[in-house]
Amino acid sequence: MFASIEQTIAQLRDQQYLCDRKLAAVAFLALQMRKPVLIEGPAGAGKTELAKAVAAALNRPLIRLQCYGGLDEAHALYEWEYGKQLLYTQILRDKISRLFEGVSDLHEAVAQLHLHEDVFFSEHFMVRRPILQAISSPDPVVLLIDELDRAEEQFEAFLLEVLSDFQVTVPELGTVKAMTIPYVIITSNNTRDLSDALKRRCLHLFIGYPDEQRELDILRMKVPALRETLAAQVVAVIRRLRALDLRKAPSISETLDWAQALVLLNAGALTPALLEETLHLLIKYERDTQQVNDQLSWIGEPLQAQNPPAIPSATEISLHPPARPAGLDVNHLEQRRQEHTARYFTSYRGRTDGRTGG
Amino acid sequence: MMMDAAINRFVFLLKKQGVRISPAESLDAMQALTWVTLHDRDTVRIVLRSTLIKDLRDLPLFEELFEQFFSLPKASPSPEATAEPQPPHATEPYPPEAAAESNLASGHADDDHAHEDPLDIQDYFDDRDMVTHFNAHQDSHDLRLAGFGQNLLLSRHQELLDQVLQKAVQQLKVQRVKNAGRAGELNFSEALTALDADLIADAVTELLDELNDLDIDELLVQRLARRLEGSMAHLPELLKRYLERELALQPPPEISVPPRRRAHDDCFPEQERREMAEIVQRLCRRMRGARSYRRHISPRGRISVPLTLRRNMKYEGIPFQPVMTHHRDDKPRLAVICDISLSVRNTARFMLHLVYNLQNLFGQVRSFAFVSDLVEISSSFDQQSIDDAIATVFNGGLLDTGADSNYGRALSLFHNRYLAAVTRQTTVIILGDGRGNRNPPHVWALEAIRRRARQLLWLSPEPRGSWPLGSCDMPLYEPVCHQTEVVRNLQQLGQVTEALLRRPVTWH
Repeated sequence: MFASIEQTIAQLRDQQYLCDRKLAAVAFLALQMRKPVLIEGPAGAGKTELAKAVAAALNRPLIRLQCYGGLDEAHALYEWEYGKQLLYTQILRDKISRLFEGVSDLHEAVAQLHLHEDVFFSEHFMVRRPILQAISSPDPVVLLIDELDRAEEQFEAFLLEVLSDFQVTVPELGTVKAMTIPYVIITSNNTRDLSDALKRRCLHLFIGYPDEQRELDILRMKVPALRETLAAQVVAVIRRLRALDLRKAPSISETLDWAQALVLLNAGALTPALLEETLHLLIKYERDTQQVNDQLSWIGEPLQAQNPPAIPSATEISLHPPARPAGLDVNHLEQRRQEHTARYFTSYRGRTDGRTGG
Repeated sequence: MMMDAAINRFVFLLKKQGVRISPAESLDAMQALTWVTLHDRDTVRIVLRSTLIKDLRDLPLFEELFEQFFSLPKASPSPEATAEPQPPHATEPYPPEAAAESNLASGHADDDHAHEDPLDIQDYFDDRDMVTHFNAHQDSHDLRLAGFGQNLLLSRHQELLDQVLQKAVQQLKVQRVKNAGRAGELNFSEALTALDADLIADAVTELLDELNDLDIDELLVQRLARRLEGSMAHLPELLKRYLERELALQPPPEISVPPRRRAHDDCFPEQERREMAEIVQRLCRRMRGARSYRRHISPRGRISVPLTLRRNMKYEGIPFQPVMTHHRDDKPRLAVICDISLSVRNTARFMLHLVYNLQNLFGQVRSFAFVSDLVEISSSFDQQSIDDAIATVFNGGLLDTGADSNYGRALSLFHNRYLAAVTRQTTVIILGDGRGNRNPPHVWALEAIRRRARQLLWLSPEPRGSWPLGSCDMPLYEPVCHQTEVVRNLQQLGQVTEALLRRPVTWH
């Protein structure tokens, strides 16, 4: 049980999950208000990890529903076990025919059968899928609905009943109400906008990349074998990589993988050569690789500065790559495009069209 | 409870800035605040943000407003606040105890005293202060104008506003005549850019003189004068709106433009038709719809137990005939928006041919044509042969083809009227050169379309090199689109289609 925001932070830390106040406040509120949390953010920022940590901290089982294109109720909620039903009818054939021993006509037989109908549509023949499991569990659980943006919009709509009332309707059985309210965490990689109706029912949280200190703390916690100076260098390099305009910027999970790899390579300090060799652990796209190679000397800058083992104060390091040598008018176009992107994708609401009226 | 009132007010202000917040969400916010201690400003910010703001794009606005709303009143009015007329109470210095209370209210005290304090927290969040601050924001002409108009309205002098504006319009019209404006529609942008600052200043002085003659409330005139001085820079915008409204009220002039082209010009040779159909068919294969939710019976896929059971009932349930189902892709839906103005006259015919073919081949196509207005041409394309259909469009029966193209207006019209036609299955294709004649480009509309659409494709007839030249808005539109291509003839269309087919799918 989370008693306050501070305790939430502490309890999650016990589960090896370092979070800031923002995240902890939402995690705490979700439990108190019994509302689902919707977490958006880039891949690898620790969305799924949060669910695991919350489940462990609250000592609840974690039920996970991974979404994908084409996911439907049969995989999310329940399915009748037709095979089993078929098998049972075959095995119980004798018993069933005995039912009709004293029956004279068809009407009576149907009526007789009707009495026993519920045998075949009972919970025995139902496969419980994650959502029904979470709802009908006698002990409270943590339900993780992962990467909801991959599923169709229809599926989102289907979730609404579960999320607001914590109940699901099975036509043959009626409405199943939750015995205990599950702690629901929904994650989205933001590849598309989720519907307003869904967002309205959730607390909203955006997880971005952590700041330098926190990332360093995470590294220390998750990869204890990593040397202190090396950790600082790793974080400094990662931060520079994120400052580039990459298609997929390295996130925390990549940082950890990289750190793990450096430990395995038994590296004492990060050298530019080593950086170049292990860069493929961080960069996942061809286009990005080229860009990083162009800027390699800039990225490697913090490494040279820290050859004497000193804790870097990387706050002074500028976080912007040096401008490219002035080229053709392509540059000008690129600049305009960036300006535009900055203007319209960050503060989209600055309306100049007169739609607001009053 | 006082806190509730403050939150309500805050939500109201957020809504006014265009953030969508439902009553359920504001209730959530209030409920959430009961679970945390209110002393820490940061916690309150986090709580409000997670309950009220569900869209990342609204975040900067929230942060700004939060800073404004939940902060101590400024000791001295900000420069822009002094420029605006202040109601008497706002300029008065705060009494010392009030300042102390505000300290409490903003959470620096460590007891609960602040919450029971009868002193209304709203007093410190001076409404007018807020409004002026947001007026200073460059994108909020709306509010400024609204405030301006509202003030006059409140003083029950609607007719005055009209008079003022009529005067201004006269001024503008004179200017336009001097400017040798083109026939047909008023070209606001040209006329307005021609109005230099001196002239506006003169106009305003003149206006004020006129107003003095009108024998009305002295105070109002003064207030108006101050207002006008403050918002001089935005006068053109105001006038433009007024003109637009006026135009909208007038009955539209009969369009009697003689047909620009003879029908035989619009005939397409058989060869061209065939090639176009072929290319569009290839394109069609490329543009898949979204994966459908329902499963269909087919020879491949997974075994469907219920269907298998049902079909094999006749064999006493022994599955001799397994039934397979699989997901099928939905048919693609298409929305095509085509510029048919004079600037793309040479290629518009080609573009419309493309639209026509798309409409023939794809099941669900809605096509739109625009110059300054935007009309749906799907039905006329459905019913007529290609030559007739294109002739109809060019003859100006549907819309005025002689006007200057206005991409911003067309896009926002599409956004306001037809956005429902765009869903996750829809591919939106825009055909045009992006030359909006210096009208506001309204990139937000394209942004909104992109967010709803599966894919947004822009085909421009103009070579990429000339995009940065002149008044072309393509550099603004391009980053919004998933893809922009240069297409001005069949050959290029073929190349683009090939390129599309070769490239891996990276819609999202």
